[in-house]
Amino acid sequence: MSRREVTTDDAESHDAADDRERDARPPTLAVVASLVAGAIAALSAFLAAPTGGALVGVATVGLLAGALRQSPRILSWAAGIGVIGIALAGYLRGAVEPLLAAGVALALAWDLADHGIALGEQVGREARTRRNVAVHAGTTLLAGGLSVAVVYGVYLAAAGNQPVAALALLLFGAVALASAVR
Amino acid sequence: MSAETADGDSPDDDAANRGGDQTERTPLRRSETGRWDGIAGVALALVGVGVVARQPGLVLTGAVGVGYAVYARIGEAPEATIEVERTVSDDTPAPGDDVVVTVRAHNVGDAALPDLRLVDGVPPGLEVVDGPARIGTALRPGATAVFEYTVRASRGEHEWEPMRGITRDAAGSQERTTELAAPTRIVCTPELSAGGDLPLRGLTTKYHGRVPTDVGGAGVEFHATREYRRGDPVKRIDWNRRARTGELATLELREERAATVVLLIDARESAYAASEPDADTAVEASVEAAGQAFTALLDGGDRVGIATLGPRDCWLSPGAGTAHAARGRETLATDPALAPTPVEGGFYQSLWFRRFRRRLPADAQVLFFTPLLDDSAASLARRIDAHGHLVTVLSPDVTAGDTPGTRLVAFERRERLRELRGAGIRTTEWGDRSFPVAVARATGRWSR
Repeated sequence: MSRREVTTDDAESHDAADDRERDARPPTLAVVASLVAGAIAALSAFLAAPTGGALVGVATVGLLAGALRQSPRILSWAAGIGVIGIALAGYLRGAVEPLLAAGVALALAWDLADHGIALGEQVGREARTRRNVAVHAGTTLLAGGLSVAVVYGVYLAAAGNQPVAALALLLFGAVALASAVR
Repeated sequence: MSAETADGDSPDDDAANRGGDQTERTPLRRSETGRWDGIAGVALALVGVGVVARQPGLVLTGAVGVGYAVYARIGEAPEATIEVERTVSDDTPAPGDDVVVTVRAHNVGDAALPDLRLVDGVPPGLEVVDGPARIGTALRPGATAVFEYTVRASRGEHEWEPMRGITRDAAGSQERTTELAAPTRIVCTPELSAGGDLPLRGLTTKYHGRVPTDVGGAGVEFHATREYRRGDPVKRIDWNRRARTGELATLELREERAATVVLLIDARESAYAASEPDADTAVEASVEAAGQAFTALLDGGDRVGIATLGPRDCWLSPGAGTAHAARGRETLATDPALAPTPVEGGFYQSLWFRRFRRRLPADAQVLFFTPLLDDSAASLARRIDAHGHLVTVLSPDVTAGDTPGTRLVAFERRERLRELRGAGIRTTEWGDRSFPVAVARATGRWSR
């Protein structure tokens, strides 16, 4: 014998009441897109340095597992492993371009998986979310693309032959500027 | 307000005209999602490693990470400037009908909503049978999102709760919840199906009806014979006896009189129980059975009233006639005291009982519809009976037997039924069988 839930204005109990009939897993599109982005990240890192690429591949699998288990914590750990993979690939004298691509793709993969979990919780898998996921992926990719364009452009134009420390100083200048503007 | 609904982009001024007076927007809360937390640290760590290892690639990748950190911090979750228009395919459906609900969400603000999730406030008494009542989308200014879902109508008056609009900024680092109220309601009034013959107990009014009494007089069923008195109708003289013994005797027949009946429905929170999560609650079963009893008794010439046992007051005093039948149907269908989900509020049984007794006509008997899931229902039946209003307990069986707990509840309920029978109160229960069948079976058992 079960008692029917009293629904109140409270969001949590409202959600609890209809969880019974709702599939709270992340939308398929978000998971698939995250997987594709993760694969691209792994491939790019592999081109930079195979060891790093393998770690990023592990991270991609972790992202998939986190998305399917609906656990943002697993996602964070997986993203951390991916960052270590990229750091390793960079440390092993990976080329600049594949590293940048791997960074943006890893960010996108994590972002989509995390976004998918939140969407699944609030809207569910069966609802129409295609447009939402596409717009979110687009803006994240755009933000990454813009960052790469600025950073890589500056690198090519101004710092091509400068020591690495100069690059870092340039970056700190940019960060200081950004915080001042904000 | 124009009736024209625009798909896709429509002129802003048109949208503004439609808006405002229709959807009431209440901002609820703003919060940080914290999903990008730590990105700056990770980015700077990469830069640090790059500096130490003298690898420009790492420094650049870290710089891109800083770019993401900036991206996460700029922007703010926009307010859900949404104009909601909800249309239902049928606002007076019959129970069990599928009602298609179409929701149009129109962005009437000047800013784009890059991440919008809408959760419609489906009334608690309605079940969504097709498609979630939710959507995740993104809306340009002036754009419209349309989504549809289907609910199964159930008895009662159902008002939609405010829709919940959750917006995030592009990076998803901030979230804002807004309530979007667009009143919609459907009223679902079941036709009262005529039930079978419902035997009543022997408490009657002085009016002629169909309940056989122990009073001798005019009627159809033999009751007794008595000595002839002057003025007795000739056709009721017992001529056989006259032929045999030469004495004059008069046949007495059972008088049939009308009864006053109050249908009392248990609508306390404990009665909102069902054998399965999706099954009908005991209140639902009681209301359906009460509807059948109402029609049957009214057709039989009895005066019928309706009362509920619950936190909310509901009383339809006994009456007869077409207007009363319509009132009864409406009470059973849409009275808030009998809503498909429990009514909020405290319930004080002694106060309720005093008020109930004050209203109850002296010659009224009570048909008590209760799942008998607690002792107070049983003791209440005995109390009403003790006050001279003969009680018949009609109990929908909503107990299940799949776990020890539910088996215990079922056992306790059976014990209560047994005790009530022992106390001389008529009881019948029905589970999967329909109510008329159960009553027909019980009728043979009940003595007059």
